Amino acid sequence: MSFLWVAAEGICALSANKLRNFLMMLGMIVGVALLAVIMAVGKGTQQKVIKRVDTWPIRVIKVNAGGGKGYTRPQAGVATLKLEDADAIRDRIRGWDLMLCVAEKRGLPMKFGSRQCQADVFAVEPTYCEMQSWPVQEGEEIGTEDIRTMARVCVVGTTLAKTLFGEDNPIGEYIYIGKVRFRVKGILKSRGIGPGGTDSDNRALIPLTTGMRRLFNQGYISYVRVRMKSVAAVPNAVKTIRQLLRKRHHISPPETDDFSIVTAKQIAEVARGISRTLTAVLVALAGLSLLVGGVVMMNILLISVAERTKEIGLRRALGATQHAILVQFLTEALSVTLIGMTLGAALGWSVSVALRRYTPVITETAWEPFALVIPFALLFGVAFGVHPARRAARLHPVEAMR
Amino acid sequence: MIELEAVEKAYGSGSTEALVLKGISFRVEAGEYVAIMGASGTGKTTLLNILGCLDKPTGGHYRLEDTDVVSLDDDALSHLRNRKIGFVFQMFHLLERTKALKNVMLPLIYAEEYPDDAEERAKKALTSVGLADRIQYKPGELSGGQQQRVAIARALITDPAIVLADEPTGNLDRRSGLEVLAIFRRLQQEGRTIIVVTHDQAVAEHAGRILLLSDGAIAHDRPVAEPRDAEAELASLPKEDRR
Repeated sequence: MSFLWVAAEGICALSANKLRNFLMMLGMIVGVALLAVIMAVGKGTQQKVIKRVDTWPIRVIKVNAGGGKGYTRPQAGVATLKLEDADAIRDRIRGWDLMLCVAEKRGLPMKFGSRQCQADVFAVEPTYCEMQSWPVQEGEEIGTEDIRTMARVCVVGTTLAKTLFGEDNPIGEYIYIGKVRFRVKGILKSRGIGPGGTDSDNRALIPLTTGMRRLFNQGYISYVRVRMKSVAAVPNAVKTIRQLLRKRHHISPPETDDFSIVTAKQIAEVARGISRTLTAVLVALAGLSLLVGGVVMMNILLISVAERTKEIGLRRALGATQHAILVQFLTEALSVTLIGMTLGAALGWSVSVALRRYTPVITETAWEPFALVIPFALLFGVAFGVHPARRAARLHPVEAMR
Repeated sequence: MIELEAVEKAYGSGSTEALVLKGISFRVEAGEYVAIMGASGTGKTTLLNILGCLDKPTGGHYRLEDTDVVSLDDDALSHLRNRKIGFVFQMFHLLERTKALKNVMLPLIYAEEYPDDAEERAKKALTSVGLADRIQYKPGELSGGQQQRVAIARALITDPAIVLADEPTGNLDRRSGLEVLAIFRRLQQEGRTIIVVTHDQAVAEHAGRILLLSDGAIAHDRPVAEPRDAEAELASLPKEDRR
């Protein structure tokens, strides 16, 4: 028996029943195309995320109150971080050029005349606008004098201004935050929706001292930001801050930190991790659809074997061994997976290019799907082809010819 | 050439065992043209399957040329069928959507070694059954008689020791049937061994010897004194009936 000629019989069977073979391939085409598109979108998104994360100022170290992975938002009501901690950091760290302490409260009631709303209140130091690169568009920032005198003044975001004052100019007006009356002295520039999905402009800035003593009545802050003079100084500063705070808070080894330190590097790692996880989940889904495609192929092959029982019997009568029949049907299965998956990879590539060109979806066409076609085709062809092929090979010629 | 000795074939086992062939013995010499007759249910098909090495007897001995068929495994039986036996079936059993030429070449795929001159041989075989101008036709484009002649060409392609035909004229009109029988006669004259299984007395009388099966055993085994001549009968058919 010549292996090649028998294999050729399997390939010939493909052209014989085009619709059936197309249906068999469909699962492979869709599965691989999906996989290719997901990979392309995954790659594109990852790059987008990294680009976005890169806007985090690389020289800045943020120390959050509360332990855990505080890369999102400082935990509310955690009283572990004190102004004295910030002072200690200020004294011990070398090479910083800007520092900022913030105490924040989310969703405080605001009132102007009869208008009321809720907004986030940030009790800040005068370095806020520079540290956050967020200047006022009108009026004045929170100043050193305001801190010293615990002035009841505030700077409002554009959303808050609009809610309370409509089209009127809020500067010089008095609003109530909680039960305390504040004079509006500035309006922040608009920043839109923040990365967390909240409106960044629905906020009010007040002096740190006023916030802690007069409004919040608390001796702790939410976070400290330290900007270093150079990126190179960041890792050492992080280490020093951690040691310093652990010592000040009397934390010894088995206990975990009651604060968390966030840097650009760390954020990038987390973001990459998230997008990687997302891609993995999507790839698993595409794999699942491939699996379904494989099962469909197996079923159609089984039907095909049943339909071609007479043909198989004839071939056996003419001298085909069981092995020859097995090879023929396995070749058929492998051809289906190989052709189907190649078509799928090409389709996925086209769709990725089209997505990039005609929709806002960012894709990065990948070569991996094409490289994966051969091993995947072999794997699926054998995994889902062997059962029908075996069934065909085991048909008894006499029974089959009947 | 062919030697059967007390061949038995039983289906099932224990109390439900059914003995289909009850000790059949006969010899067929090379170059003989034998018809096996019998009503349905007498074990004709079972005997044909054993002769064709598609099935093994459950008792007795079967020698094909120098091979003891009973002792062979499935692969060896496959090879034996490929080399020694040419099958002709009642339903032709051609591959649809496949040209006559490819159909005829099919057994060569399963030969020990694929011959270089496969296509030449297939063309020659088709020419010898009078289908030289039909080699590119698919079965659906051929008449029943032509399809059966393609099947005969396929049976001959491996140059087998015996041609085994199962009701070869059963699905054909009288003229096509006679054409097939004329080919068998010619093959015998060329020295091939031919065994035809049929229930049709008229078809059987073209052979040189008739074996009559009855209830799984040979009822009688007699030579045909004067075999019918398919060529002569074809010539005597009315002219307007000729194609």
